[in-house]
Amino acid sequence: MSLVRIEALTKQYPGGVLALDDLTLQLEPGIIGLVGSNGAGKSTLIRILLGLLPATSGRAFVLDRDVATDGIGVRALVGYMPEHDALPPDVSATTLVNHMAMLSGLPRGAARERTAEVLRHVGLYEERYRPIGGYSTGMRQRVMLAQALVHDPRLLLLDEPTNGLDPAGRDEMLDLIRRTGREFGIAIILASHLLGEIERVGDFLVAIEGGRLLQAAPLADFTTKTGVVRVELDDDPAPFAQRLDVAGLAHRVDGFDVLIDLGGQDYDLVRDAVAELGLGLVRIEPERRTLEDLFR
Amino acid sequence: MTAPTPPRTGSAGSIYDLGYRGYDGPRLGRRHAVGTLVRDAFRACWGIGRSGRAKIVPFGLFALAMIPAVVAVGVSALVSQLGEAGGAFDDEAIIGFSSYFEYVWPLVALFVAAQAPELVGGDQRHRVLALLFARALRREDYAGGKLVALVAALLLLLLVPQAVILLGRALVPADVVEAIVADAAQVPAVIGQAILAAVFLGSLGLAIAAYTPRRAFATAGIIAVLIVPPLVSAVAVTLVGESTAGWLTLFSPPDILEGTNAFFFDLTRTSAGRSLPDVAWPLAAMAWSVVAIGALLWRYRTIQP
Repeated sequence: MSLVRIEALTKQYPGGVLALDDLTLQLEPGIIGLVGSNGAGKSTLIRILLGLLPATSGRAFVLDRDVATDGIGVRALVGYMPEHDALPPDVSATTLVNHMAMLSGLPRGAARERTAEVLRHVGLYEERYRPIGGYSTGMRQRVMLAQALVHDPRLLLLDEPTNGLDPAGRDEMLDLIRRTGREFGIAIILASHLLGEIERVGDFLVAIEGGRLLQAAPLADFTTKTGVVRVELDDDPAPFAQRLDVAGLAHRVDGFDVLIDLGGQDYDLVRDAVAELGLGLVRIEPERRTLEDLFR
Repeated sequence: MTAPTPPRTGSAGSIYDLGYRGYDGPRLGRRHAVGTLVRDAFRACWGIGRSGRAKIVPFGLFALAMIPAVVAVGVSALVSQLGEAGGAFDDEAIIGFSSYFEYVWPLVALFVAAQAPELVGGDQRHRVLALLFARALRREDYAGGKLVALVAALLLLLLVPQAVILLGRALVPADVVEAIVADAAQVPAVIGQAILAAVFLGSLGLAIAAYTPRRAFATAGIIAVLIVPPLVSAVAVTLVGESTAGWLTLFSPPDILEGTNAFFFDLTRTSAGRSLPDVAWPLAAMAWSVVAIGALLWRYRTIQP
């Protein structure tokens, strides 16, 4: 059984905007990063997967349920965190999350228990009895995550969950999402326009642009070693670079760093050259490709 | 099931790991979800579970609606004490089953104008619909649940004072049994009138409120629909006469409510629209309810959460 299966999915909005253009994709459980710039079609895709929005053509299945015909079946198994704030100010986090749990079919007692657990899990304590109107952005995002988790979904759809958070809040939210996915075995689709976030949390990457699929592959494929090492020296690397010229190795100087394509040779060469020149060697590190390279 | 691990110590505001447990218990599905919606919306109608301020309007209106009934019972008790047993509660009584509604309908209308926007406006204003529609229920369930809750609240508002009158009529006269038997025949009319009035006002108010996230606009819209059409039809009837323009009152909620009440209690109408058959009013109430419910469902079918 696949987590998500999408066949030639197209969504054209009444205004004529083509949000998804013939998207075909199959995803297996894991933490999936859905990346694309603003307006790339991320939110549209998520809303179609929830059965909140009808597709113009094509089909989509979540956990083998057709989102067009079995929206209720899909939504029973999925938790959703929209990209915008969606919290009423006049009720407490406990009241809201409890209500959402019961709307997902949990009996009263179980709903109350799960509400307490899940609010604790996201880090809300005494404040959960106060009206949400007084919460900080970080607390509000946690409530949004809690309501998505409260019915123990098989899949979490998180649409820009770090929206509006400061760097510390962002770190905590990403950490929470990673633990939710890794330790509790809940599949996650995390939409973000920030590659860095997905690099930190995800293990599979789907990149879309203009409603079309750019890439879909395990994250490791994007960040493999490149055969290039970065050598950081404590002094002007010019003499060292000359040595490399003599040895016939391609290289590039970047401040006190030298990037060298070793072409399979080992690091001893670097160590010896640095030692003979009497330079201080700060570090030698294999250079990894970053996701940003993909989009350059 | 794993035992929760103890919390790490950290600064306030950091996220602790207390473990997470899955849920293997029963999932009750859509009916349970709708029941939850109805119960929550019914509580919201009365401001229960909200701040104290939210309770002032609904409970204040309820208290006001009780006044005619309490006064009626009190006066008749007083009169019977003075020796005219049963005198004040005969069919000519000023406040009885059939005349009660004409005293309180503005309160019921105000209740709708105040509480219908409360029920549906906030979810749109704060975009909570995105969370609600992502649960295991249909959009119609949401709209229907809110309507059922509002109609139930209106029935309470309409029927509790009538029950007080019933009780008063039964207990004040010397012969309790005879009094109850005499009133039993009226009960179907009381209930029928209340149901139709509640469905009509409730669906109309909720349909209007559903079309704007702004509370003030919704309240103003509901009040406008209750005030403007009767003015138009009254002016038209005055200008061109009952026989030509009487049918216009079928577009006027207060006239429909009054006519429906007259139909159930077999009263004779003297105001505009009197040339129409009695049954036209309950039929108009039903027809408008259907239109309003259709508009309500349409709104939630097409709204972008």
